[in-house]
Amino acid sequence: MDAPDYFQFFGLEARLSIDLPDLENRFYRLSRQLHPDRHAQAAPSERERSLEASAILNDAYRTLRDPVARAEYLLKQQGFEQSKQAPAELLDEVFDLNLALEELRGGDVSVRSRLEAARERFLALLQETDAGLEGLFGAYDRSPAPAALGEIRAALNRRKYISNLVQQVESELNP
Amino acid sequence: MAYSEKVLDHFANPRNVGSLDRGDQRVGTGMVGAPECGDVMKLQIQVNEETGVIEDAKFKTFGCGSAIASSSLATEWVKGKTVDEALEIRNVDIVNELSLPPVKIHCSVLAEDAIKAAIEDYRKKRSH
Repeated sequence: MDAPDYFQFFGLEARLSIDLPDLENRFYRLSRQLHPDRHAQAAPSERERSLEASAILNDAYRTLRDPVARAEYLLKQQGFEQSKQAPAELLDEVFDLNLALEELRGGDVSVRSRLEAARERFLALLQETDAGLEGLFGAYDRSPAPAALGEIRAALNRRKYISNLVQQVESELNP
Repeated sequence: MAYSEKVLDHFANPRNVGSLDRGDQRVGTGMVGAPECGDVMKLQIQVNEETGVIEDAKFKTFGCGSAIASSSLATEWVKGKTVDEALEIRNVDIVNELSLPPVKIHCSVLAEDAIKAAIEDYRKKRSH
C-alpha cells in the first residue's frame, strides 16, 4: 500500500498551521478505528490492512504535529528539496565556533564561556527563525503560492543549519 | 578510501595556515562552506595595490583532508599571480594536481569558490 497523503489521511486540508488539539482528537479517533484488536475476528487480509494503516497513522501523526516536519513534508510534496547552500551570513559564526571547538579540544578550558555564549546566540537565532516561520506559515495558508514556499524553504534551511550548530556546541559542552 | 600522496603531504604540512588582518585595505577574505559535510574554509589574499600581484595568502579550513589540501594548494597557487590570473584557477586543476577521487571533488569546488570570494572581497574594498 502506497503511503497516502498525510493531510487527507486525517481529513484535513493541506495547511501549514494546524489546530493541534483537533489533530490529536482525529488521531485518537482513527487509532481506535484501526486498532488491530477491533479487527481480531476479521479475515487475515483485512487484519493486515488495518495494521498497515495503523503504521501510516503513526507516521502521519508524528509528521503533522511537528511544525518543522509538517512543513518539510509539504515542501517535499511540492518539489522543494533541501538546499546544499550554506547560509552565507552564518559562515563567520561557524568559523569562529570551529576555532573555539578546536581550542577546547586542545585543552584550553577558557573557551568554555565563548562556547556558552555561542550556544545562547544560536538558540536566540533559532527562536527568531521559528517566529519568522510562524508568520510565513500563516501567509502561505492565506494564499498558497510557490513563492511563499520558496521563502519557507530558505527559512527551514537556515533553521536546520542553526540547530546543527546548537547540537555541535552542546555535545562539546556536555559530552 | 586512500588519500593521494600529495593530499597527505598538504595535510601533514599545510602551507600558509593562518590569517591576515581583515581590516587591511590590501587584504581580501573569502569565507565559504558546505553544509552537507560541515566544512568551512577561510582563504585570504594580500594584494600589492600597484601591481595587482597577490603577495601573500593564508587559509584556515575546518574539514576533511581533501578540503585542507585543496585550500593549502590554492594559497600556494595564488601567490605570485595577479588577481586576474588567480581568477583563472579552476577546481579541475586542483582535482588533477591532488588526484582527488569523485567523492572529494566538492572540496576543490570549495577552494575555487574561496579564491573567488577573496578576490571579490578585495575588489569591493577597493571600490569604496
